[in-house]
Amino acid sequence: MTQQAETLSINPDDQRAKEAYFTASQRQLVWARFKKQRAAMTAATVLMVLILAGIFAPFLSPYDPTIAGRNKDYLNGAPNIPMFCDKNGCSARPFLHTIERERSLKTNFRWVETVNEDKRRYVEFFVEGSEYKLLGFIPGNTHLFGISDGFIHLFGTDASGKDIYSRTLHAIWTSLQVGTIGVFIAFVLALVIGGISGYYGGWIDSILQMITDAVRTVPAIPLFMAIAAFIPQTWTAEMRFFFISLILGLIGWPTLARRVRTHLLTERNQEYVLAAQLCGASSSHVIRRHLLPSFTSYIIVDLVISFPYMVLSETALSFIGLGLKDPVNSLGVMLQNVTSADVLMNYQWYFIPVIFFIALVMAFVFVGDGLRDAADPYSDISR
Amino acid sequence: MSALIDVQNLTLEFSTDEGLITAVDNVSFSLNRGEVMGLVGESGSGKSVTAKSLMHLNPANAIYGPKSRITLNTDTGPVDVLSLKRPADLKVVRGGAISMIFQEPMASFAPSISIGKQMIEQLQLHSEMSRAQAREISVEMLDRVGISDPSRRIDQYAFELSGGMRQRAMIAMALSTKPKLLIADEPTTALDVTIQAQVLDLMKDLVKEYDMGIIFITHDLGVVAQTADKVSVMYLGRLVEEGPVREVINQPKHPYTRGLLAALPRLDDLDAPLTPVPGDIPSPLERPDGCVFSTRCKEVVGPVCSAQIPLEEWVDPSHRVACHLHQKESL
Amino acid sequence: MEQRMLISAKGLSVSYRMNKGLFSHSSLRAVDNVSFNIRKGSFFGLVGESGSGKTTLGRALLLAAPISGGEAIYQDDEVRYDLTQIEKAELGDYRRRAQLIFQDPYAALSPRMTVRDIIAEPLEVMNITASREETDARVREIADKCRLNLEHLRRFPHAFSGGQRQRISIARALVSGPQFIIADEAVAALDVSIQADVLNLLKQLQAEMGLTFMFISHDLSVVAHTCDHVAVMYLGRLVEIAPTRKLFAAPKHPYTKALFSAIPSLNPDDRGKAQKLEGEIPSPTNQPRGCKFHTRCPHAIDICKSAEPILETVETEHDVACHRWKELFA
Repeated sequence: MTQQAETLSINPDDQRAKEAYFTASQRQLVWARFKKQRAAMTAATVLMVLILAGIFAPFLSPYDPTIAGRNKDYLNGAPNIPMFCDKNGCSARPFLHTIERERSLKTNFRWVETVNEDKRRYVEFFVEGSEYKLLGFIPGNTHLFGISDGFIHLFGTDASGKDIYSRTLHAIWTSLQVGTIGVFIAFVLALVIGGISGYYGGWIDSILQMITDAVRTVPAIPLFMAIAAFIPQTWTAEMRFFFISLILGLIGWPTLARRVRTHLLTERNQEYVLAAQLCGASSSHVIRRHLLPSFTSYIIVDLVISFPYMVLSETALSFIGLGLKDPVNSLGVMLQNVTSADVLMNYQWYFIPVIFFIALVMAFVFVGDGLRDAADPYSDISR
Repeated sequence: MSALIDVQNLTLEFSTDEGLITAVDNVSFSLNRGEVMGLVGESGSGKSVTAKSLMHLNPANAIYGPKSRITLNTDTGPVDVLSLKRPADLKVVRGGAISMIFQEPMASFAPSISIGKQMIEQLQLHSEMSRAQAREISVEMLDRVGISDPSRRIDQYAFELSGGMRQRAMIAMALSTKPKLLIADEPTTALDVTIQAQVLDLMKDLVKEYDMGIIFITHDLGVVAQTADKVSVMYLGRLVEEGPVREVINQPKHPYTRGLLAALPRLDDLDAPLTPVPGDIPSPLERPDGCVFSTRCKEVVGPVCSAQIPLEEWVDPSHRVACHLHQKESL
Repeated sequence: MEQRMLISAKGLSVSYRMNKGLFSHSSLRAVDNVSFNIRKGSFFGLVGESGSGKTTLGRALLLAAPISGGEAIYQDDEVRYDLTQIEKAELGDYRRRAQLIFQDPYAALSPRMTVRDIIAEPLEVMNITASREETDARVREIADKCRLNLEHLRRFPHAFSGGQRQRISIARALVSGPQFIIADEAVAALDVSIQADVLNLLKQLQAEMGLTFMFISHDLSVVAHTCDHVAVMYLGRLVEIAPTRKLFAAPKHPYTKALFSAIPSLNPDDRGKAQKLEGEIPSPTNQPRGCKFHTRCPHAIDICKSAEPILETVETEHDVACHRWKELFA
């Protein structure tokens, strides 16, 4: 063969690149394609940042997001943005002005707030604050930043004085948890049911498909209303939280199961599957070695794209009061109070968390789309 | 009489993730009315891409060379195909004066619309006919291509027809707009050999009746021998040999053509060994310098073959070759 | 002359059950009452057009299609199996001895396994080798025979051309040391020059390893050059079997004759000489009565429409199934 004649005229770098292409597994090829899409890579970075923010929420937020950490003196307070310079000069450390309140005969015994621009409060880093448990079990009490005297509210406070910034970060974490549990449950169910359906076909498939379709047609809102009525009041917030996640997963599996089934139905008729069967390979060997790897890329894409649906479903449900409740923190819970005219006209900072969630959902969607685009061309290479 | 279609210096590159791939390299040919040209080559030769260029059908990442020109001579004057941009102008070359039929007829008929509906739509797009008129012409065409009971079949769906009938229906659809040039891209490769014989006969009859030009793309030299007037052989994007079919098949001048013929199993000589062309076709990302065939050629003349691209030489009035072997002879 | 028959089939039929509704079904006879013998060491060709049942017959011999009648015996130097009544324990051993090469080089290789793993899979599934080293040695040996080098073993299928992939398929079929290989349209998807290359490789491997091939193809020219015996099928039935030279020199069945004349000859001056066969191949679900070919046969008479002709031996090693062969082609 004259392969040698061609390789002589190619420099070693090209040769190495070619060799890398030839020996790249499917996962590596998909990743290489993914990296080339700028939108998807940006979204992936944003996603990583948000996920890390959620995981380290207790560390990154200065205060406890529940009632326990509220600032009684600063209800519905506007955001405090730290500054570096004011009329008295600049400083390397960011600071805030002090707000003094006084109530006296002069003010008719009403609280009047004045900003004292001469008294600075410096932002401090790595302060000791309220205790928390990272990821639920790592104890700590150091917070990334705080302020020497009083409170610092980067995103303002809500009607009971809770710091919206802290609540936002914790809410991201809650939504991610709910999403993960929901997706996980949906995925396991989809894999099992869709897998059996797709691999065996025949009447098993018909029956399972009927069940799948039945579950899929269940309307979500009435179901949740029924469940909301059914959840006993005595349940703790945590139990409620897990229950909601469970329900989301139980409703979400049909779409995924359909995908798994379709993919299996096509793949099991591929000739390389027949080739394995002609050697006497058992069903489990065929599934393990040929079918499962063949759709990992598609399933990953489906998983990533299901995530935002879970998050949005939970948000919507909590918003109308059928999902999570205080003190468990999620975007839906935070938005429950947003509809009053008071808030809309005066306390616009209530909407800041919305930006974060839009970013989170969009990041998932872009990453999912990018993955799908990166995974699909692989089937073109094989022609 | 000027040619029906004239291709000059067609060069086409695709910009892909892996770099710039040259698909067609400086190809020139022309075709007259009533002439059948067989365009032969293996996979990667660029024959399909060349054909699609005639209809300006290549994808958006196709970059044409600056000297490429495709001129179609219609009744209303010459048309420069590559300069057409607006959909109204492109209609002329796509389905109007030029029609194309493909290897897999299931792929060109929409599965959920009846054949009749698609044929009627095609006719109405390219003419001022009413639905009733278009339907009448479509039924006539179906009958002409040998489909029995055409007025019933016209309302059937593609999957209801057998492979041979689908291909005939596709020919009917392609010819209903009375094109001057028909491009057939491997139209009989997927058909059984007895059905293929029927379809080839049909096409030959239609050429005579409509005075069309046909470009018949195939890898099957036997089909070419039976249908074409002239043969063009392509390898890795270059036209290496072109001539009257008898001359090219019986006295091939280019080593690649000779290699192809030697690799073919021939029914008239069952003892002849099958000699493959040595080596593998180079990847389009690694086009050899000089003559593109030099890496596999058994008749290399000298270092000139891998250094210089051979120019075309006319070894006979209508037979040209691009090979250093013949440039030496003619010196 | 007593070379053993590796495969003997008598009256073999393959039927598929087609469900027409909840309570009714019909049978599709893909292979209908075929009888033939394949001598050990031969390169046996099986030709036919679509609907002929040739692929189904090949699969049936590998027990991948439901045999509904007749018998098929596999017999080599060591064992004798009745394929219609094979037991589970024997099945595993038979799979080692009979393998398949597929048509589509792109679909036949798992895109997520390295070439080494693909070739090694039969060894691992059938527990032929005891250790990884042994497996690797076997793989390397076969790969070398198929002209694949060590570098290729590390790569994934997407790195290879059609011809190379077909060689990987061949290596996978040969690694278990089989005696009988069924090549199902193994070169149909390849370019002409690659096709020649792969065919030469198959013949070389046959000589080196003493294999017996059943070569299924629709391409008569290819079959003419590689096979020593050819069987022609139409709509599930065998219409003619003969040694290659005899078949091509003097076919005795109208369908065989029509097939030959339909092949486009490389001689441009042969135009107009071919006798075109009219009509379409009937659907396998709606097969004609009597001789299956009578709807298109230019020589059909009354008896052809009512009685099925039997495959009978008309000369040494030459069988034909036609009512009128004597008067037409003797």
